[in-house]
Amino acid sequence: MKLGRWACSEGLGTARRLAMLVACWLVVGPGNATAQGLDTVSPTRAQVLVTDSAQPPAADDPRWQDRPLAQDEPGPSAWYRVRFDRPVASPESSGPTMLYLPYFYGGGRILINGSPVAEVPRTTASLRVRWERPLLLPLPASALKSEGNELLIQAHAEYQGTSTVLPRLVVGTDSELQPMFERRLFFVRTLPMLTWVAGTIVGLLVLFIWLQRREEVLYGLFGLAVLLWAQRTSTFVLDALPSGTWEAWRIVYHLCTGGFVVVMALYVLNLAGWSRRRLTHGLIGYWALGPVVFLLFGEGVAARVWTAGLLLIGLLLVTVALAAAWRQRSAETVAIAAAVVLGVAAGIHDQWVATRSPWLMQWLPEWGDHHLFLLHHAANLLLLVMGVLLALRFVHSLNAVEAANRTLEARVQQREREIATSYQRIAALQREQAATDERQRIMRDLHDGLGSQLFTSLSRAERGAMDSGAMADTLRGAIDQMRVAIEALASEEQDFDTAFGNFRFRWDARLREAGLAPRWEIAVPDATPEGGSPLAPHDALQLLHIIQEALTNVLKHARATTVSIRLALGGGALALEIEDNGAGLGGAARSGGRGQANMRNRAQRLGGQLEWQALPQGTRVSLSAPWQAPVVGDGEPSAVAP
Amino acid sequence: MTDRPPIGVLIVEDEPEFLSRFSEAVLGDPQLRLLGAVSTGKAGLALLDAQPPDVLLVDLGLPDISGIELIRHAASHHAACDTLVVTMFADDGHVIGSIEAGATGYLLKDASAARIAAAIHEVRDGGSPISPSIARRVLARFRGAPPASTAIAPAAAAPPAEPSPLSERETELLRLIAKGFSFDAVAEVLSISPHTVVTHVKNIYRKLAVHSRGEAVHEARQMGLL
Repeated sequence: MKLGRWACSEGLGTARRLAMLVACWLVVGPGNATAQGLDTVSPTRAQVLVTDSAQPPAADDPRWQDRPLAQDEPGPSAWYRVRFDRPVASPESSGPTMLYLPYFYGGGRILINGSPVAEVPRTTASLRVRWERPLLLPLPASALKSEGNELLIQAHAEYQGTSTVLPRLVVGTDSELQPMFERRLFFVRTLPMLTWVAGTIVGLLVLFIWLQRREEVLYGLFGLAVLLWAQRTSTFVLDALPSGTWEAWRIVYHLCTGGFVVVMALYVLNLAGWSRRRLTHGLIGYWALGPVVFLLFGEGVAARVWTAGLLLIGLLLVTVALAAAWRQRSAETVAIAAAVVLGVAAGIHDQWVATRSPWLMQWLPEWGDHHLFLLHHAANLLLLVMGVLLALRFVHSLNAVEAANRTLEARVQQREREIATSYQRIAALQREQAATDERQRIMRDLHDGLGSQLFTSLSRAERGAMDSGAMADTLRGAIDQMRVAIEALASEEQDFDTAFGNFRFRWDARLREAGLAPRWEIAVPDATPEGGSPLAPHDALQLLHIIQEALTNVLKHARATTVSIRLALGGGALALEIEDNGAGLGGAARSGGRGQANMRNRAQRLGGQLEWQALPQGTRVSLSAPWQAPVVGDGEPSAVAP
Repeated sequence: MTDRPPIGVLIVEDEPEFLSRFSEAVLGDPQLRLLGAVSTGKAGLALLDAQPPDVLLVDLGLPDISGIELIRHAASHHAACDTLVVTMFADDGHVIGSIEAGATGYLLKDASAARIAAAIHEVRDGGSPISPSIARRVLARFRGAPPASTAIAPAAAAPPAEPSPLSERETELLRLIAKGFSFDAVAEVLSISPHTVVTHVKNIYRKLAVHSRGEAVHEARQMGLL
């Protein structure tokens, strides 16, 4: 577990821990050899007396038997008598002479030459003890002799154990034994402690992540597995517990172990994609049966019966992991399968060590004596593999999301371009449509105005009602009308400024030729840079027609000498005034209602009103109409220009 | 004035009505001498070379060859000849093309006899008629020119590219005319005589013709024709 945690935060840590694990194998062997050197003494045999007695038996008790160490002695307690000579201290070694006990599961008392060295708590009615940690005890120099020292040790069986065991002990200087002691302490105590703490934190964290994303079942199972394994590991951390708490803790321990197996099975099934609802429910149900069995039948039965079922689930787990690796050949399934197989191997190894398997003792007797269990390290490795795989999965899905985002972004941009293009097309169509509409309005204007005038004139000429002067007048009028229409339409930009410029230029010359002095006061805003003309062509046509008609009247009838033309576009209004100093309204009115009606008509098309006003001398024609500055791009006629 | 030799006029117009109208206007003025009045381009060309006129009145819509060709020929072979192009409306797009080809002015088709004669005298006196839309087109023509020539400038073979051949005064004058100001009004604004205005216009036309010829040469060079 600890391995897994460190790996998550720091890849280097993983390598370092693995190296240490391997180093453990290597170092413990040489350590053994050292123990047989001159600096240390490691007796292999002892006098053993199996008895419950708290007092050390007499030295000449006939029940003393010569036995090899690290053997199970049948009985809840036993006295061991070990004789040794004080080791010769080499120049490199230093410190007081120490006694090193790799394990002392059941606790007990230790005396040297009759003086007490230490007393380790043993299981009593109120206390449950299982010492996992090694012991390194100083032997008082005052009590030591150079030769023929006698260690007297009473060892107890661990709780509920039926036999007693004393490990191969070592006597030597502190500097020799300290490293040995610390190495073992690290593996049997520090590492489990770290596993417990770090596993609890990481498990809760992963579960928290899973709670936010329930569909990621593998995260949930991984978090649960880590959490359960961390709690199970507390068995190596808690040396002694009050007996009441002990029972509860044992239940927790078994439930965590069972839970871990079940969750791992679910994990592997899920990873392989072979998860079935019924199977899942069955596995969880079997696990939930555990507490009931414990409460009803106690730990003895539960450990035998319920745990046997867990073995079957473990078998399922291994089978599924191997089958998934075989069938799918994915990096994930193969890695998990390899880790599971390693775990099984570690489990078998631990079983051999615990039962002192003859095969193991024959081939690796010293390793067996060291009583090192590997399953929890292998489990850490398995959890580490799972963690790494999940991290890779997480990174992979992040990358996938990023890639998807990029694709999406590209698509959105493409759509935006398409939309912009089609918007431009629509705008162009709208402009075209507006221009077409405008042309048609002017065509209609020509048709109704100029056309009908020509037809009427033709009819009158044909029946001889027109002399040549009247005919020339009519035709000049027609040409004028056409000129205005062309002026309003012709300029490429359909710009009122151009139209009016042409109109003004033409009429200025004509008025002067007729002896009139024209005065132009024009206040018209320029066309906007975007091409918005201040007046749409059709409106310009109406306005120019009105001015032309008024000026024609002045020319024909007013007998004036000056004429002023004032045109202002602004402040939301169009204001036109044409003022002459001629004969007055009478003349204009005489010219016939038709001209005036035409002008009124056109004023109405501009939405305005036309007025004639008699001045003391002359006439004033004024037009006022609403007017708005052009807004470019909204398809309004006034904004037709592209 | 009276002791000056009469102005020789050649008329090329395919519509008989207007041909006779213009002819009568010329004949009605003792200062003018009608050298010929023909209705086809080819006849016009022949007469042009046979007896170069002082003023050529030409309609663009001729049946055989384009009036523009006639104008170009007159401009290149008879530099002393002034060409007036006959147009119905002064804003006809062809007018600017004619000026670029070398025409010095235009004449409205519905002009009175007096106006026709006056226009011929004016052009001989060094003035040219102009309308707001022509002014606008000339401005646009030169406005378009500078970026084109500066863009080509790096090419060593390119002709000297002037930013704009128009002087500031000429540009201002064109702007005023484009707004519809009369020659008198323009003269007043620019503090010059009305006669100077039309002289300016003639100069402007000449520049336009030279400019467009230069452009044509340049384009031909670009295309590898010269």
